[in-house]
Amino acid sequence: MFSRILIANRGEIALRIIRACKEMGVETVIVYSEADRDAGYLNLADQKICIGPGPASESYLNIPRIISAAEVADVQAIHPGFGFLSENAHFAEVCRSCKIEFIGPSVESMKLLGSKLASKNLARQCKVPLTPGSDGPINTEAEAVAVARKIGYPVIIKASAGGGGRGMRVAHNEITLRSSLKAAQSEAEKSFKDGTVFIEKFHEEPRHVEVQLLGDKHGNVVHLFERDCTLQRRHQKLVEESPCPVIDEATRQELCNSAVRLAKAAGYYSAATCEFMMDKEHKFHFLEVNTRIQVEHPVTEMVTGIDLIQWQLRIAAGEKLDFRQEDVKHQGCAIECRINAEDPARNFTPSPGPLDEFVVPGGPGVRMDTHAYQGYRVPPNYDSMIAKLIVHKATRAEAIATLRRALDEFRVGPVKTTIPLHRQIMANEQFQQSKVDTGWIERTYKAVEKK
Amino acid sequence: MAKQSSGTGFTDTKRVRELIALMAENHLTEIELVEDKSKITLKRGGQAAPAAPVHHAAPVVPAAAVAAVPAVPAIDESLVAIKSPMVGTFYTAANPESDAYVALGSTVNEESVVCIIEAMKVFNEIRAEVSGTVAKILVQNGQAVEFNQPLFLVKP
Repeated sequence: MFSRILIANRGEIALRIIRACKEMGVETVIVYSEADRDAGYLNLADQKICIGPGPASESYLNIPRIISAAEVADVQAIHPGFGFLSENAHFAEVCRSCKIEFIGPSVESMKLLGSKLASKNLARQCKVPLTPGSDGPINTEAEAVAVARKIGYPVIIKASAGGGGRGMRVAHNEITLRSSLKAAQSEAEKSFKDGTVFIEKFHEEPRHVEVQLLGDKHGNVVHLFERDCTLQRRHQKLVEESPCPVIDEATRQELCNSAVRLAKAAGYYSAATCEFMMDKEHKFHFLEVNTRIQVEHPVTEMVTGIDLIQWQLRIAAGEKLDFRQEDVKHQGCAIECRINAEDPARNFTPSPGPLDEFVVPGGPGVRMDTHAYQGYRVPPNYDSMIAKLIVHKATRAEAIATLRRALDEFRVGPVKTTIPLHRQIMANEQFQQSKVDTGWIERTYKAVEKK
Repeated sequence: MAKQSSGTGFTDTKRVRELIALMAENHLTEIELVEDKSKITLKRGGQAAPAAPVHHAAPVVPAAAVAAVPAVPAIDESLVAIKSPMVGTFYTAANPESDAYVALGSTVNEESVVCIIEAMKVFNEIRAEVSGTVAKILVQNGQAVEFNQPLFLVKP
């Protein structure tokens, strides 16, 4: 096991990694930007190093500064968390060439599964169900029109290098398709430095279901069941749960096993999530693979009892998984609410500032993952997520009841958060019956009044 | 105000009194010592002097070594700090055989090279960006430094 690692991230996930390391006796070095200088979680690490000013490009995304910090602190490995450099193959390469282990997958499998097109090809070879679409990139209007005619409208144009819900446009007919194609390509070029786009059938009212994977460097890959992340707003997940409340056991097995086949074929190790779209007939279609730990990993940790971050460290250090697929059991129901510093009443405008009041819920079945505390200032420079409220109970109905109770206890001010929205969601009958799809939140909650 | 966690290391009040005296002599407002499984944090009440950025892990720190912690002077408002623009290792000279770029009392102008900071095997010359005389050198040769860490104090 490593004796010291560097955490190249911030906020809630940085604290999560510090906690995992402390329990394993691994020393932690945390980097921070000037904007995070006063954050309390920094003092829980063994060492903290300021690497730059607020802007992420000069700090958390700055490879030379992070590697320098890793070298002066003499660490054996770097955990990239999620976002920032976690899916940056170049960063992984630089780490390893400096003899610092990157806590994540190999560069090759990251590149393979990180490309939407390459991963789709591999999925096809592994007989993982795919959304019909162009089998490769679309370069001309003529190609786009031909594909769309074959698979039928509506279609969606996607950037191959895209992610986080960006770089996508839906076309309901040929006219829109023709006009959207050029725009989609230049958007992709600007945002992801890669203008390659492809086309897929657009599923209306889909659900989003994903499978958690864990693989070691000895070729063992297991799944840790699925999560349903259908509740989204502008492609950003708001609520995640496990198990998926609407699929039967046979579908679950097929879904999870297909994800394992794909990961094995890619020679994948460390943690990953294989994402699928599920249509109205509950048929699933491969979407993409996220080759990193995800925000919603606690949901899976609660229902399986497996510490994903600690396993990422063990795997990176060369250890074998000490359990097999049949040892992984799913217990109860876990639901996570992402608490973002945003104002739902003002179209979710970010709401940075001081947390004069910050009282977190507790009690049985409640897990709070947050770096925030009373007196903490939410900086404006980064994403708005300040906490994750996770509950785990024997049944979904109990989990929802506990979540409602916990959300009522949760007091945050004067910064505005998504707590009022979550209260409304949990009280909503459609959510309780899980009659939802990825467009449900935007349709149902155009603007939310603070309760 | 003293806060103490488990272990026998700091239950000796004589030792704690020594630490408090050491703090007063050196104008320290807060220290935290970790020794084996013992940890003590001492905070001096009253006027707060600016705290030194102590970021490095202290493994076993016997009480005697506390005297080696550099005193943090109350900052003379007229002095300008030259801060590190990067993370790396600080060197006073171009190489071990050369003379140091600057010493106490050296005159510098904005273009003067004051030190080297090495990062990822690249040796970066750091310029003063201020004119004046070097009043204080805050770091030691070979020390790891972080972004914005004050390296020199210059009297303009």
